[in-house]
Amino acid sequence: MMEKMIFGRYIPGDSFVHKLDPRAKLIFVFAFIFIVFFANNAVTYGLLLAFTLLIIFISRIRLYFLINGLKPIVFLMIFTFLLHTLFTREGAVILDFGFLKIYEQGLKQGIFISTRFLVLVFMTSILTLTTSPISITDGLEVLLNPLKKLKAPVHELALMMSISLRFIPTLMDETDKIMKAQMARGSDLSAGPLKDRLKAVVPLLVPLFVSAFKRAEDLATAMEVRGYRGGEGRTRYRQLKWDYRDTICLISLVVLTALLVFYRN
Amino acid sequence: MRKQNLKLRSTVTIAMLSSISFLLMMLDFPLPWFPVFLKIDFSDVPALIAAITMGPVAGIVVELIKNILDWLFKGAPTGIPVGHMANFVTGILFILPTYYFYKKFKTIPGLAVGLAVGTFVMSVGMSILNYFVFLPMYTYFLGWGSFDMYETIVLGILPFNIIKGAIILTVAILLFRTMKTWIDKQQSTYLSLK
Repeated sequence: MMEKMIFGRYIPGDSFVHKLDPRAKLIFVFAFIFIVFFANNAVTYGLLLAFTLLIIFISRIRLYFLINGLKPIVFLMIFTFLLHTLFTREGAVILDFGFLKIYEQGLKQGIFISTRFLVLVFMTSILTLTTSPISITDGLEVLLNPLKKLKAPVHELALMMSISLRFIPTLMDETDKIMKAQMARGSDLSAGPLKDRLKAVVPLLVPLFVSAFKRAEDLATAMEVRGYRGGEGRTRYRQLKWDYRDTICLISLVVLTALLVFYRN
Repeated sequence: MRKQNLKLRSTVTIAMLSSISFLLMMLDFPLPWFPVFLKIDFSDVPALIAAITMGPVAGIVVELIKNILDWLFKGAPTGIPVGHMANFVTGILFILPTYYFYKKFKTIPGLAVGLAVGTFVMSVGMSILNYFVFLPMYTYFLGWGSFDMYETIVLGILPFNIIKGAIILTVAILLFRTMKTWIDKQQSTYLSLK
């Protein structure tokens, strides 16, 4: 559990996709979400699926992790698929059970929408599976830099994100400790009537908040002592480097878009 | 204390509260009779504390970071974080009215009224937003076509948000009964900046 919290869904590796710059991956996924909606026939959906499978292959993520991420939405997918298959009444009848007829157009629509769904979930999963949360934060900070001109506190937000990420395991440990301490005193968060459970939450929250404020004070002092004075002119330990790989990645996206536009109806 | 340090200190404090908020979001539980995507958690409580001690922007930022973290760690079921956007807006609609009421009255009854107003604003606001924005977004991405949104909202989302508000109201009041002195002290420290 602890380990899971430090990396999020990130699975370390050294594939082509892992080595990509987080900026390239973020741009890629963000654009991909829109590009997906270009697809509207068998060829274009096939292209999307093939492209996604290719990326899964070169990212060398074990399928197990991707499928695992699908678990909570299997029901949603099946429901969507059935909804389209059973209730679209266009085209020729393929199967006839008497009371239930499945139409060609309905089946097609069901498969298309499910594919779109799958492709989107896989792509965003690949992003979080191959990029550590901290690199995503770094990438976002650079990409959002232009917003600084509009006085958006981009650097501060990124700083807060990294501090949050850093302290999730620590605070989780603490939550665990407090919960155990309360359990030893006979309180139970996970059972009993709602009223008792709500009352049991308070002794958990109080020490958490107090220690978070204390910790923040210490960390702020430590940062100041080390000469932190905002984002201006700050040097970085983690450098982002744009590589030939990143250019290839974005070119592949342009090619995909062109193909989709060309083959769509 | 100097000005700079307080600004940095509130930045760091917001980050810590966001982590707590995120952790509390993971300890969520569904309510019986409601669909699974409507879940109750206490992640709005740290955001509320942030808003009260450091101003409304701090509360909004906690809500924002909480949702980004949750998206990074869990991903979104539809690929596009519609649920996270909805959660972000819900949180804001809930904490802002509470913040203004508490700022005005600075008492626990004042807080209770604020939370009640917050619950009202949140449930009505989310019903409207769900009707015009979030449910259509879901149906569009999932390609569900149109379904009876009115029923979903009146039977699902509206009562759910009222119950959620009531539960957080209870916890917040219990919390403030214990922590009011401390919270007011933090507030006077952090807001001396302005």
